[in-house]
Amino acid sequence: MASIRAQFEVPSKTKTWSLALIFIGVLSLIVGFVTKGMSSDEHTKTVFWGTLMYNSIFFTLICNASMFFICATTLAMGGWQIAFRRIPEAISVMVKIFGPITLAILLYVVLVDHNHEIYHWLSEEAKVDPILKGKLGFLNPTFFAIWTTLTIVLWIFLGARMRKLSAECDEAPMDAETGTKFIWRNTVSASLFIVWFALTVASTIPWLWMMSIDAHWYSTMYSWYTFASSFVSGMALVALWVIFLKNKGYLEYANEEHLHDIGKFMFAFSVFWTYLWFSQYMLIWYGNIPEEVVYFKHRVQGAYKGIFFLNLIINFICPLLILMKRSAKRNYTIVTFMAVLIIFGHWIDFYQMVMGSLSKEEVTLGWFDFGIASLFIGMIIFFVSKELAKKPLVMKYHPFLKESIIHHT
Amino acid sequence: MAKKKFVVGCFKEEAVLFPAVKKVRTAGYKIHDVYTPYPVHGLDHALGLRETSLHTAGFIYGITGTTTALSCISWILTSDWPLNFGGKPHFALPAWIPIIFEFTVLLAAVGMVLTFCYLCQLAPFLKKHHFHLRATDDYMVMAIECTAKTNVADLKAFLENAGAFEVNEQEAETQWWLGTYDKDQQLIRDTTIEIA
Amino acid sequence: MHLKYESQLREPLVYGEKDFHQVTEDICRPIEAKPSKLWYVGFFIAVALLMFGFYSIYSEVTYGVGQWNLNKTVGWGWDITNFVWWVGIGHAGTLISAILLLFRQGWRTGVNRAAEAMTIFAVMCAGQFPIWHMGRVWMAFFVMPYPNTRGPLWANFNSPLLWDVFAISTYFTVSLLFWYSGLIPDFATIRDRAKTKLRKKLYGIAAFGWTGSTKHWQRHESLSLVLAGLSTPLVLSVHTIVSFDFATSVIPGWHTTIFPPYFVAGAVFSGFAMVQTLMLILRKVYGLEDYITLGHIEAMNKVIVLTGSIVGVAYLTELFMGWYSQNKYEGYTFWYSRANLFSPYGWSYWGMMACNVLSPQIFWFKKMRRNLFVTFFMSIIVNIGMWFERFVIIVTSLYRDYLPSSWSIYYSPTIFEIGFYLGTFGLFFTCFFLFSKYFPVIAIAEIKHVLQTTGESYKEKVGGIEAMQGEEFAHDYAH
Repeated sequence: MASIRAQFEVPSKTKTWSLALIFIGVLSLIVGFVTKGMSSDEHTKTVFWGTLMYNSIFFTLICNASMFFICATTLAMGGWQIAFRRIPEAISVMVKIFGPITLAILLYVVLVDHNHEIYHWLSEEAKVDPILKGKLGFLNPTFFAIWTTLTIVLWIFLGARMRKLSAECDEAPMDAETGTKFIWRNTVSASLFIVWFALTVASTIPWLWMMSIDAHWYSTMYSWYTFASSFVSGMALVALWVIFLKNKGYLEYANEEHLHDIGKFMFAFSVFWTYLWFSQYMLIWYGNIPEEVVYFKHRVQGAYKGIFFLNLIINFICPLLILMKRSAKRNYTIVTFMAVLIIFGHWIDFYQMVMGSLSKEEVTLGWFDFGIASLFIGMIIFFVSKELAKKPLVMKYHPFLKESIIHHT
Repeated sequence: MAKKKFVVGCFKEEAVLFPAVKKVRTAGYKIHDVYTPYPVHGLDHALGLRETSLHTAGFIYGITGTTTALSCISWILTSDWPLNFGGKPHFALPAWIPIIFEFTVLLAAVGMVLTFCYLCQLAPFLKKHHFHLRATDDYMVMAIECTAKTNVADLKAFLENAGAFEVNEQEAETQWWLGTYDKDQQLIRDTTIEIA
Repeated sequence: MHLKYESQLREPLVYGEKDFHQVTEDICRPIEAKPSKLWYVGFFIAVALLMFGFYSIYSEVTYGVGQWNLNKTVGWGWDITNFVWWVGIGHAGTLISAILLLFRQGWRTGVNRAAEAMTIFAVMCAGQFPIWHMGRVWMAFFVMPYPNTRGPLWANFNSPLLWDVFAISTYFTVSLLFWYSGLIPDFATIRDRAKTKLRKKLYGIAAFGWTGSTKHWQRHESLSLVLAGLSTPLVLSVHTIVSFDFATSVIPGWHTTIFPPYFVAGAVFSGFAMVQTLMLILRKVYGLEDYITLGHIEAMNKVIVLTGSIVGVAYLTELFMGWYSQNKYEGYTFWYSRANLFSPYGWSYWGMMACNVLSPQIFWFKKMRRNLFVTFFMSIIVNIGMWFERFVIIVTSLYRDYLPSSWSIYYSPTIFEIGFYLGTFGLFFTCFFLFSKYFPVIAIAEIKHVLQTTGESYKEKVGGIEAMQGEEFAHDYAH
């Protein structure tokens, strides 16, 4: 009985690559700061900060989606995910790093820079604008700072609680009694995270961070839409790591059956995202109320037309047609390709959600966007692989591990 | 109408059935079918059946629905009788998505169920030979087709060895015929050899 | 053959010393026995209600929609409220059989058959309301897009009301096909056990000549899976389209983008409540406690607290946006017509909040989730709450809108509106009583399928595996 490789060691090549990506990222950040961030032109400066904002928000949310996945499957008493659960766990640690980065960027924009090109409600004008002045009870720097800080701190804290529980699976075998207790404690922790998640990601946070950029505009769907977008790309990220580790010869218990189910999540939530996209777009299009259609006007008919339809093709048509087949969801190459495509697609989606409002006249997508993205991707590769090496990859004594081993779709 | 001769063996557990299927097939006997009270996963592979392509048929029906609905509505509202509804363009695609979607699902579902019934030859008022009435209750019933060369006694003994707890010999119609189940109940010519 | 194993930490889904034959016996027993007195009493009450419904509809068709208290602004009242309410209830069945099938929740096998039946009957009830609401109901066929005799004038494909026609009829058809294709093998089981000639004949016809052939099972599995895959977006689309009836308009309180997913969550919520009500009665009357266990009840209560909370988030989102939008019409609708307890319809909003958001929160506690009395009580409360929700949405948005000069007087229903609603209860329960008498109320073949993994007696047999550690286990059993 050959022992399995449970302890991950970071391959030096991976480390080199991630450092290279981070280097490119830092370089473009510096160049970007000099050419854009320090520019005397308000608009160029806005583009600089906007780019940092949507990247940090996007990557924080997709890493946080991993913890959501863990908690949701825990509450549903799922057993199949145990074979690879250490991966979403390691990804969720990124919230500890990306969370503070996002916090710093947002607080700088709101508290230090008072950038009213980004958040119009920060301007003097907002105090006399008949609509905006009514909203100032919600859209004000104090509330923004407190709620944002609280949100990120609690994401980190509640996520850490779940990971701490998970460490118990490495210690000693569990009998029926300790096993039941263990599951119960997991359930309690998971529900706390889910409740906080509902109050933040699924409601207030997207309003505050992104929807308030169009300070006059509102859509009740906005937060759920953001959630769907970040969750589907979060699943794609998990898929990429599973495949990476399989390629390196780890994760013996995870096989194409598990990949198939991750693929189903990617497929189903791509369709779900489209459903929310359609519901929001169609209702605003159908109602045709001027104060609502302003949001879509320049996106559908103006400079963002290409991005707008690209978004739909990558995030709906491609997953629908390519991931529909059973054999596709079990094929490592196709799933890898689709995962990269989905993450890129939703990054584009976040891009148009933020930059579509900050730079209405021209699409700013360019070297700087990709540079910053590479900074975040490099950090994900660097820190997640480091995190994976800290704990065994198999939750050796988890009560549901055996169910996961014989998991069969 | 084609009547054939079968040797029938009954099993109660999957754990016995699977090795038996393997043995019977390796011995070169031709398994006509195995009748089970519930879907036994993996049995189709064990019997060497190919994967069904019913879902592909469903996909084709669905695509047909999508194109039919889209082309009909767009023809009606853009060329046959264009009307101004609330200032929307005549080609108001977002407003058609719901009907296109519903029609896709409708055609796919109805088409698949009909195809399923056709492939399995299922319909009301239709009757087939049942090798054992408890095949829909708790027995897994294996029917082996006999050829002119088959030594029936050998085969029976073989099946018993393979774990069948009840073995018999039946002459049966392989096709369906019209009829109801209240008439002609004597479907099974009872030549059962009970073994303990 | 795959190893049939699940963790011993999970409760069995089927209790008792059961083999396949015992399962058949247990589920077929009520069908083969004479109905009880209680059944007759219930059935005749249901038929009496149905008759009352017939009378109410007869009166409405003869004298016109004026028999109802709808007025110049409240053009949709009890009728559409009831329509949406019944459609919502009709979502649990397909959700249980389709979405839970895809999510591989084993516990659905105990309740899916009855829930699907309930779905079909609820959709039948729902369909009544828009049809009779038309008034000149003999013109109902005008909604069909056929090459017609009305000049080349077609139905308006851009209208959400026409989308509804497609959505509801497709949903009904597909649910029926899904349900019936699952019933075929079970009818065959009953046919092959039948003692009387009539039973043999009727169940023989209903079973379509099913034999249980391996190839047929393989296709049947594939069919179920694809139908589940199709039903999942379908079930979402149906209540989505119902929500479009409201959300595509520009009426304050109706035009809001969150409506589609929020309606779907609400539908699942009310559907599960109705399933709970029926299951608690069914398991008691037919002695099916071994099959519809406390574990099943608890799982459904978890779905109820989840969907109730999602609906709660949506209510609060709407209320928040009513203020955040700084649109005075939205603000008036949400903060005066609804959230103000002392406005004319304030009671309905707070009734809704209490029943749908606050009270289901007791299901966070395990003790409550496993308490039959609390569950039964809550299932009724939730259904009342969900009725309030639709009433709130429809009536509070309609009775006062942009022009104070067109504000209407207080709307309350006439006896004919109430009678029509009671009549649909009659229809629903008549169908359900007949179903529970003549159909297998639990999917026999599906229970047999999960029995070996989750049946109590089978789980005991594989107890030895439980002690094995992962590595050893994987070595022996991994595929």
